[in-house]
Amino acid sequence: MAPLNSLEKEYPLIDSNFQIFCASHAIYSVEDFLLHDIDALFTSATNCSSSQKLNQGIHQLLSIIDALHPPLLNGLQLVEDARQNKHVFSTGCQGIDALIGGGLRVGQLTELVGPSSSGKTQVCLMSASTVAKHNCSVIYLDTGNSFSPQRVAHFIGQSSDYVSGNQNVLDRIICYPVFDVYQMFDLLHQLKNNLRSKIGKSDRHVKLLIVDSISSLITPILRGSGPQGHTLMISAGFLLKQLAHEHNITVLVTNHVVGGDDGNSKPALGESWKSVPHVRLLLSRDCGGKVCNMSIIKHPAMASGRTATSVRLFV
Amino acid sequence: MEIGMLPISASKRGKLLAAGYTTLHSIATTSITHLATDIEVSESEALEILNFATRNSALERSSGSNTNVIQGGQTAWDMLNEERFSSSITTSCADLDNILGGGINCKEVTEIGGVPGIGKTQIGIQLAVNVQIPLDYGGLGGKAIYIDTEGSFMVERVLQIAEACIEDMSEYSHHFHKDNQAYGVKMHPNSILENIFYFRVCSYTEQIALVNYLDKFVTEHKDVKIIIIDSVTFHFRQDFEDMALRTRLLGEMSLKLMKLAKNFSLAVVMLNQVTTKHVEGSFQLTLALGDSWSHSCTNRIILYWNGDERHAYIDKSPSLKSASAPYSVTSRGIRNSTSSSKRIKMV
Repeated sequence: MAPLNSLEKEYPLIDSNFQIFCASHAIYSVEDFLLHDIDALFTSATNCSSSQKLNQGIHQLLSIIDALHPPLLNGLQLVEDARQNKHVFSTGCQGIDALIGGGLRVGQLTELVGPSSSGKTQVCLMSASTVAKHNCSVIYLDTGNSFSPQRVAHFIGQSSDYVSGNQNVLDRIICYPVFDVYQMFDLLHQLKNNLRSKIGKSDRHVKLLIVDSISSLITPILRGSGPQGHTLMISAGFLLKQLAHEHNITVLVTNHVVGGDDGNSKPALGESWKSVPHVRLLLSRDCGGKVCNMSIIKHPAMASGRTATSVRLFV
Repeated sequence: MEIGMLPISASKRGKLLAAGYTTLHSIATTSITHLATDIEVSESEALEILNFATRNSALERSSGSNTNVIQGGQTAWDMLNEERFSSSITTSCADLDNILGGGINCKEVTEIGGVPGIGKTQIGIQLAVNVQIPLDYGGLGGKAIYIDTEGSFMVERVLQIAEACIEDMSEYSHHFHKDNQAYGVKMHPNSILENIFYFRVCSYTEQIALVNYLDKFVTEHKDVKIIIIDSVTFHFRQDFEDMALRTRLLGEMSLKLMKLAKNFSLAVVMLNQVTTKHVEGSFQLTLALGDSWSHSCTNRIILYWNGDERHAYIDKSPSLKSASAPYSVTSRGIRNSTSSSKRIKMV
């Protein structure tokens, strides 16, 4: 929403006369215009001289605003979109797939929460290798140097139908080391712009975006001086969900746990983050055991509290 | 709001919003003088804000012509090939090296924790010496940075371990190059001591300042291959009033260490203390600094007593199997355990 004077170049109707008129109503930017009472503006425009030009100017602004919002969809269009675009990707582990209704759904933000060494990175690596095997691209944002290409190669090699062609599959997984929340935003914006300008190219679409872990990027800025950290966290969540929905990607993020008030552990990042992911899964590992347990905290289609019986991740 | 994603101060952000600039595009299309007068800052500050904004919109404009790949990433295939050539730092204990897949890996942050007296500082000193083993003998030939927060670094001990290391190397060279006299070891214990950069920090602010400074230091001394912090938790444990501040500072410090490890291809080893945690009715020993800190390392090794023997256990790793191995601390440094019943336990 630019200040009005910057629109003058492209839209000659919004000339200085119009701007002076708006300034008399304390309107300096398009945002102020939206907040103002439009009918009152129309009536005061008719009372002024050159009212026709002012009216045209107001209509011009309204049409600019109309062009900016996303299209309105009805329920039938949403169902069609879901059928054609929003598929389900297997995570590579049957137990997890059975728990979350088939796998990771395109268009949804899935969060893995768990204490240290409970298997979050392993689930991410396994999902990445499974999606890459199905001829789709994977983008992996790694904040803790835990991306292990060795492990991914091991997962790919496990499946019997891929004897050769490991390089092709591994070439589809791209890992970005990210150590700063602003760096993550840069990357996500670049990805958004790339995807927007490449509509029509059918090969090698990005289908899985993993951020491991988003909590280590956000914890240093949360609850500092001012609400800046909180704003960044919520806008990161919105950006990820927008990427997921508009460009048909499934997004997977990992989070850690902190100690709660009553001694139980709860997911980090606080109360406001709770509503951001579509699916929240809690992982835990028995002390020194090879077996990880996964339970649903939140899911749009499954009952929460469902647990997966032993999910063996270390083969 | 896209303004929120610019790394500028809160007051400047407030001024931009009050003047009506809510998107990066709106900033990018104005001139410096306009911006400076609108938000009442100096021209140099306006130029800085403009640079941030145009950098982002330049990315928007150029994306149409470029390839699909965003800058800064590597494919898994390239990383796999690189991994084959990356070297690791031996711990001088063959069992420990085996479970670690060759030793402490570069480009990763490893946390080693244990009860007092188990040998954490000894391992730290051994690694600082071993990183200097020349390339001919299978080492990295690099230098070490040792950050001491507790004052447990004893120079006499380092000298002892360095001398033992040189003796081992000359024994190795005699063994394999018996006929060639020219393969004598040319290292002197003093040169090993010279290549360890020692920093003593006495408060948490000094520690954070030092971690910030390390970036510049390692750029100037490019052959540093390991940074050992002993111990990383000491100054953060006592009397920290503001827990939220502690979490933020630790999170930021761990990200900086990760970045150092990745960008300069060096190993970062953090030594940590233990504390007790009340879990399901019993008290368990866990590493200090809480749950959020436990995610700030790539690998974690826990040292513990098993009867009379010292053992090391891999608690967290993205690619190594959970296993434990015995080791011992001798006058020559860390060596294999000499117990007769020693074997590597796969957990």
